[in-house]
Amino acid sequence: MSEGFRLRVCFRKTGRLRFLSHLELARACERAARRARLPYAVSQGFNPRMRVSFGPALPVGTAGEREYLDLVLTRYLAPEDAHGALTSVTAEEIAPVTCAYVSPGEPSLASALTIAVYDVYVEGGISPEELERSLGALMDAGTLHIEHKGKPKVFDLATALPKEPKVESEGESVLVRMTVRMGEHGSLRPEVLVSAAAGRDARLEVNRTDLLIEDEGVWRRPL
Amino acid sequence: MTDLWQQVAPLLAQVERPSRYVDREWGASHRPDAAYRVALMYPDTYEVGMANQALQVLAARLASLADVMCERVFVPWIDMSALMRAESVPLFTLESCAPVAECDLLGITLPHELACTNVLEGLALAGIPLRAIERREQDPLVIGGGPAAHNPEPIAAFFDAILIGDGEDAVLEIVAAHRAARDRGASRAETLRDLATIGGVYVPGLYAPGPDGVLLASEGAPDRVVRRVVRDLDVYASPTCPVVPYADVVHDRASVEVLRGCSRGCRFCQAGMVYRPVRERSAGTIVRDALAALACTGYEEISLTSLSTADHSQLEEVLRRLSRRLEGTATAISVPSIRVDSFSLGIARLLGGGRKGGMTFAPEAGSQRLRDAINKNVTAEELLATVDAAFGAGWRRVKLYFMLGLPTETDEDVAAIGDLVSRVLESARGATPPGERGGVRIAVSVSTFVPKAHTPFQWDGQPSRTEVRRRQALLCAHMPRKGVELSWHDADTSFLEAVIASGDRRIADVVEAAWRAGARFDAWTEQFGLRAWLEAFAECDVDAEALASEPRPEDRALPWEHIDSGLSRAFLAAERRRAESGETTADCTFGDCAGCGVCSSMSLDVVLAGGGRHV
Repeated sequence: MSEGFRLRVCFRKTGRLRFLSHLELARACERAARRARLPYAVSQGFNPRMRVSFGPALPVGTAGEREYLDLVLTRYLAPEDAHGALTSVTAEEIAPVTCAYVSPGEPSLASALTIAVYDVYVEGGISPEELERSLGALMDAGTLHIEHKGKPKVFDLATALPKEPKVESEGESVLVRMTVRMGEHGSLRPEVLVSAAAGRDARLEVNRTDLLIEDEGVWRRPL
Repeated sequence: MTDLWQQVAPLLAQVERPSRYVDREWGASHRPDAAYRVALMYPDTYEVGMANQALQVLAARLASLADVMCERVFVPWIDMSALMRAESVPLFTLESCAPVAECDLLGITLPHELACTNVLEGLALAGIPLRAIERREQDPLVIGGGPAAHNPEPIAAFFDAILIGDGEDAVLEIVAAHRAARDRGASRAETLRDLATIGGVYVPGLYAPGPDGVLLASEGAPDRVVRRVVRDLDVYASPTCPVVPYADVVHDRASVEVLRGCSRGCRFCQAGMVYRPVRERSAGTIVRDALAALACTGYEEISLTSLSTADHSQLEEVLRRLSRRLEGTATAISVPSIRVDSFSLGIARLLGGGRKGGMTFAPEAGSQRLRDAINKNVTAEELLATVDAAFGAGWRRVKLYFMLGLPTETDEDVAAIGDLVSRVLESARGATPPGERGGVRIAVSVSTFVPKAHTPFQWDGQPSRTEVRRRQALLCAHMPRKGVELSWHDADTSFLEAVIASGDRRIADVVEAAWRAGARFDAWTEQFGLRAWLEAFAECDVDAEALASEPRPEDRALPWEHIDSGLSRAFLAAERRRAESGETTADCTFGDCAGCGVCSSMSLDVVLAGGGRHV
């Protein structure tokens, strides 16, 4: 199979479309590429498919400001033209942010993107000071025990959180800014940590603001 | 209009599949300043309703009116409706997230009998009085239409008006009449009298039962409501920019209706009777609309839909042209409802492309005697030859539809289904290379006969539930095990369908009582419970067993006597006689006029893509 031209698209998942599942979002992106009449490459075999791959999935309800996909094109198209074509056929809430070509040899998004930056908005009466204290206590304990799909799971917070979470006051709600390292064996969901600190009744809104590649200790955006 | 989004959004974190409720799909149209607002509701979930082509057609027709807004409404799943009730959030349209009750017109499609409690669920959540007679001047007009409208009486009380037949033109006329009435300050009652003058529109409130039970029209309304029929489908473009859902809906693909109607004349089949005559769209417009729909939606599959797509006289040409145009785009073409007798391997190859999914045939009965009685003009040999060709060409899976409880059915006919499946299996294995025979699968789906209005079997009864279960057990005993996946429709569900399909006005009380007892989403196996219904029958003093099972005398008026589908009573009765004597009737598309009465009474004719009839 020819290598083609690997177009990396940064897009968002915001507003009411944060309620899409990863599968729904992926399908929407593929259909947008078709509507945009991008010269997309197709896999060989009995069930030919568009050659597209995505970065780490976002849960239903979580927004993302800089999400990524790689789409293989059969011929070169100026990135600004691809961007324009995609923008004109996509709902504003999941519109492309920017796009550019990457080398065919570049590692896949799923394996390269290991750092995720989140804003977690907390509503439900807890003060920034209280939240900071209980987060601090969790960090001091060093590990977080949770149950995921009925199975106990333990996170080592020093590994999972390469930076200390920061608590800020944001209008009516409290904002927790946190950076999470995504591992091969699952990554810590920010809402799990924050609700452990803020209590089950707190209402959370999660926004993944950035996805980064960690390259010899240096963090950089994939575009 | 009120925007309910701020109340809806907090609920979405607590429900399954929130994308059902958020709108913002590609193709969704927003006209906040429209002077007239229509809500179109499908009485089931988003995933089921988004697949409905009739709603897409109506939405496209309404969108042609510049100052009219047309928004989608679905019935929220039980988790969402519980939250909406707890938080006092009324039923909302998707596009504007506005209360349905603020619209001028609420159109509800009636896809089948089991959707009737969901109609009430929708009305109740919207805060619209359930019965037309209770509605106030400010309430939207509630108008129904669709397949289950052909016997409207069981749900008539809940509708201000019901459209019988094709909606392409009627929907525009209804909107125009309502706007004109509103502009001159007409009352609700006056508006409904205006609507009753539109062809195909039934206003139940203008009809009352006479001494013999037949519904009589009051002044100004027609004695019989004549089904609306569009003469030539090619005049109407197929909707090319329907809303593209994010959620994984039932038929998640673009579609083009290639023909309407089917005159093969299966005697149990309501669709084959009430959508006559056959009207084909031409190859040119089908290809044009299919490509336009793919370009506008970005779908990866185009479906050529109809009651019997393989019957289209230019199907091979359509498939050839489409596959040439779609080469290299990883776009699939699908043809649902392929028939044994009109199937050709050429079509199968054109369709299969790379993918070889399942293939579906509906022999309906196991014995030739019963197939003749129901006028299913297909032989076991034709079926076996088709299976042989398909498996030889690489298919490994076929689905067969059968029906139990058909009039004249005997135990021998039931056992014959098992024999036919054995022969199909044998033929499929024989055509498959030895190493791959383990993968051969025959899915057998068995439904239960439901007598339907406007069919030759409308006077027949359905066997009792006990008898249906006995025949199911008998069938199971005669069915080969290995390589066969057997499934059947629940006898309780089919019984309820039979009661509603042949019911009269008294059934409205039953539907309401069942809904009040918690019945809704009756078409969902895990939600359906017959108990609420049995209690409702008892409460309303309705002998449901008799309604479902007892034959109706031919000399007595039927509950749908005032609905004129165009079919002559004499034709239907003659077809019933022919069923008893095992005589078949040829398809009028291919041969002589069978005298059903539709073309003669409505001055219509069969429309074939190439012009003329292919005799």
